[in-house]
Order: sequence, then C-alpha cells, then structure tokens
Amino acid sequence: MTALLTVYLLMWPVLVLGVLITIVRGFAKDVKEARAEGRQII
Amino acid sequence: MPPESPGEISQLGIIGVIVLLLLFYGGTMWMSVVISRKKENADDYMTAGNKIGFGVSAASMTATWIWASSMYASVTAGYTYGVSGPIHYGLWGALMILFIYPFGKRIRKVAPKAHTLAEVMYARHGRSSQLMLAGSNVLGSVISLTSNFIAGGAIIAMLSPLSFGAGIVIIAAGVLLYTLWSGFRASVLTDFAQVLAMLGAAVIIIPAVFFVVGGPQMFADGVAAGHVTPQQESFFSSDAFMNQGAPYIAAVLAYAIGNQTIAQRLFAVREDLIKPTFITATIGYGATVIGIGMLGVMALYLGVEPMGGDVNNLLPQMVGTYLPVGLVALAFIMIIGSLSSTADSDLSALSSIVMTDIYGQSVGRTKVNPKLMLLIGRITMIVATAAALFFATAKFNILDLLVFVGALWGCLVFPVIASFYWKKVTNKAFTVSVIVALVVFLPVRFTLIPLTGAWGFAVEALAILGVGVVLGIMAFGFFGLRPALVIGIVSTLAVLPFGFGYLRDFETLSGSLVAYSVSFLVCYLMSVRSSQNFDFAVIGTITGDFDEEDEASDQPSEAGGTPPADEISAPAGR
Repeated sequence: MTALLTVYLLMWPVLVLGVLITIVRGFAKDVKEARAEGRQII
Repeated sequence: MPPESPGEISQLGIIGVIVLLLLFYGGTMWMSVVISRKKENADDYMTAGNKIGFGVSAASMTATWIWASSMYASVTAGYTYGVSGPIHYGLWGALMILFIYPFGKRIRKVAPKAHTLAEVMYARHGRSSQLMLAGSNVLGSVISLTSNFIAGGAIIAMLSPLSFGAGIVIIAAGVLLYTLWSGFRASVLTDFAQVLAMLGAAVIIIPAVFFVVGGPQMFADGVAAGHVTPQQESFFSSDAFMNQGAPYIAAVLAYAIGNQTIAQRLFAVREDLIKPTFITATIGYGATVIGIGMLGVMALYLGVEPMGGDVNNLLPQMVGTYLPVGLVALAFIMIIGSLSSTADSDLSALSSIVMTDIYGQSVGRTKVNPKLMLLIGRITMIVATAAALFFATAKFNILDLLVFVGALWGCLVFPVIASFYWKKVTNKAFTVSVIVALVVFLPVRFTLIPLTGAWGFAVEALAILGVGVVLGIMAFGFFGLRPALVIGIVSTLAVLPFGFGYLRDFETLSGSLVAYSVSFLVCYLMSVRSSQNFDFAVIGTITGDFDEEDEASDQPSEAGGTPPADEISAPAGR
C-alpha cells in the first residue's frame, strides 16, 4: 500500500513535467513560425 | 532545511516579498510593453486576431483555469477526504475543459469571428438572451477576480509582515498595470510565463515536501498514529464522491459555459488547434491541481493542524514549515502566478463583455467607434478592479458565492447548447426556461422550502432527471444525439431506485441537478412545437470584427475571412 501511495503521489509532478515540456515546445514553434512570417507572436 | 521548531513558518520578509513581486510584475509588464502597439486594434484587444498558435493557447488555457482557489481547495480536499479528495476536486475541474471542447468546435464553426458567447446568443436569439448570459458572465468574473485578490492578500500576509490590505492592493495594481494596455493579448502572452512558473514550481515542490517529511515511510507512520480513517485511506471514498465529486460533476458544463475566460480563448485559438489545446489544458490543469492537493494528503498523514484552524492556510503552511526559503519563494511565485493569470483573464473577459455586449451591440456593429470601444474596455478593467477590491475588503464568503454562481450557470447550460444545434429553440423558450429554472433552483439550493412531502418528492424527481440531462449533454458533445439519449435515459433509470429519499439530503447537488432538468424541460417543451427553422449561417454574418483597422497594420491581410462590417447588414429586428 505504501509503494502504491508513493507512486500515486509522485505521478502527478511527472505528468505536469510532460505537459510543461509540450507547452514549451509548442511555444518555441509558435515563435519560430511568427518570425518566419515576420509578425508578432500574438 | 526545514525550520527547527515544529509549526514555525519560513517568512520571506518585506524585502523578499517586494523583490519577488517586482520581478514578477516587472517581467509581465515588460512582456505587455513588448507586444504593445501605438494603435491598438479593438478586436485584437478581445480575441488577438482569432489565430493564436498551440503553445500560447495551451499555456493560456492552462494558466487561466488554474487559479489560487483551486490549489487551496484541492489541498483542503486532500486533507479532508484523504487520498481520493484531490481527484474529486481536480479531475472534475479538468473535465470541465475537456467536455466543453466539442461544443467549442461547434460554436467556433457557426461564429468564427465572435468575441463573447453572449454576442453569439444575440445573433441566435436576441437581446434578452444575450443580456442574461452576459450578466451571469460578469457576476462570475467579478467574483473570481475578488477571490484571486483575497488569495493574494492572504499569501502576502502569511509569508511577510505586510498586511492583507496592502497585499490585495499590490496584487490588484500589478495585474491591472500589465493587462490594461494590451488587454487579452497581454493576458495570453503573460500566461505563458505564468504557466512556466506554476507548473515548474509544482514539479519541484510536491516531491520536495514528500521526501523532506520522510518519503514513503510517512504513509505507514500516519496510519500507525491513527491520523487517517479507512474512508480517507480509500481510493474509492463515498464521502469524497458524494460531498465533493458529485456536485462538481453537475457543475462541469456549467462552469465552462458560464465562464467567459474559456469562451474568449475558444474564439482566440486557431480553429484547427482547438482540440489539442483543450486536451493539453485538461491534463495540465488536472495534474497540477491534483498534485498540489497531495500536500493536503501529506498534511493529513503527518497529523498537521491547520494554523488558526483554517484549512485555507494549509498550502503555505506546509511549504513554509518544511521547505527552505528558496523553495518557499518558488511556491510564492506559483501562487502569485496562478492568481494573476486568472485575474488578468477575468479583467479581459469583463472588458470584452462590456465592449461587445453592452457598447458594440447597442450602437450596432457598423457604427462602432473603435477608439471609444477600447477606452470603454480599459475603463471597465479599472472599475472591475475597484469593485473586486471593495468586495475583497468586505470579506464576503467567496467560495459560497462561487458554488452558488456555478449552480446558477446550470440554468443556462441546456438552453445555450441546444441553441447551437436545434433550429427550433426560440428566444422566448431560452429566456423563460432560464428564469423558471432559476425560480425552482433558489428554494432548493437554500432550502427555503423544507425538502419534505410532495415538494421533496418533486425535487428528487427533477434531480434524478437532472442526472440524465447532465450525462446526456456530455455524451452528446462527443457521440451525437442517439447515444446521448440512450445514456441520458439509462442513467436516469439507474438513479431512480435510490434517488428518492436520498438526494434531498444533498441540497447543493440537488439544486444543481434541478437547474439542469427544469431548464431542459421548459426549453424542450416550448421549442418542440415551434415552427422556427433558424439558419445558423446568420450567426456568422451578425458576429464579426468591430475594428476595420486590419490587425494594427503589422499583419498582411488575408484572403477570405469575414467580409467588412459595412458589407453586412444585421437582420431586421436585431
């Protein structure tokens, strides 16, 4: 039960890290596209 | 290292807090200035040109949906209900985003250039429906803004010698300053920096506290010390579901429909990116908020007593007690980021509603003065900030108000969604169904009439039907009408055997369900025989750009798109 609770507790920050990486990569792509098209990112 | 004496809280000090706030708001202000234009475009001020990319929109949706109250509430849920508590807060909140996305795609299809949901309701039905939706949006955003200011004041007061009053003024000024100039564009771009701070802090703080307090051994010690009950140890706690999860499920669609901050991002993101944006935000919100809720679970197993008996103190208390000052500063930025990103979104939402639904539609789209419109938007932000500061100092019970408004929005869900799919729904059916649902909801929610006898039986019957309506609407978004009908009918029949004599004990849940079922019954019965055959293409011609100064001159004009406003005439009677 202790091991299960540990995995349960620590899986959330791992998931958050995954989302964070996805967002940062998406943002970098947005910046690149905006530069290529000569416009502001937003 | 954690403080040596138990219960001692690491404080950041006045200078520490001021430096952190200067860095945070200075940075966001700098971002706002970088994207500012000499001549701001009124439409961009509200929707940023309707073509934001995935990275920016996913960051913005995630940052906006995570607010300080959600972190506090998830920690409270973990402390109160144990291991399943944060799930019954965060999971349903996350699903709010997921379940609204199929409807979002439909809304965007019929109104690609709209600014607010209420504006679309004006095009679909007329002024009364628009104002009902706009009014509920304004109420929700002002309450949300107030709640974020209160959270900011409280955290500053706890982690520094500054007072609560000074804290809310600093937060209000910081958010207003960077949002005022570039509006929604500033809100969205700064959301990226804020989401980095929030998610980055969550990644570090949750495991840091876990290992500092003893790691896996903490669970065994907590059980041995009798700190947790069997219900709190269970992943399938019925207490957590009935008291926390079930009312949230009922509110899933209501919050997304009633919250203009979500609609605003729906209209801003590039149309083909709606799905990945909403899915990323769903996972991002869920993981962050449930993860932060684990601090409450740890507090429970450790036998921590909340400072002053207030469970809202648990989050800063856990961080301040167990983490070194550097990580306390990180947690402080996480909370300031969460409340600022939501507060700036609320300001942008409020200004959009007043610009579009009050000013824009009252003078007519072809007669709008973009400069005056922008001025009205900025004045709205200042007035809203002042109002929220007043409410924050008056110390209303914000969470009670939020629960009330969430249930109130339940009256709108079926009429709003049906209006985007069913040609027969009339303005009269929309308006009457919302008002009747409200009239029935209020006495149930506040138990103005005791839930006994025939009234109790009627309320339970409506609440049971409400279960079917809620699940049916959710299924409709993903699977279409026929599966939705099957799911709605089966779930109603499934609740029948135990709903009577049981649901009356849960007035918050029953109130929400009754709001759904009554609005559904009235709207359906008034529309089913109507001869109206609404043409949804009309919505796209009525909603659209107000400011013909195309994209503030830094953008090449695109072929196609919505024709200029002066080429479009609104239908008679609008």
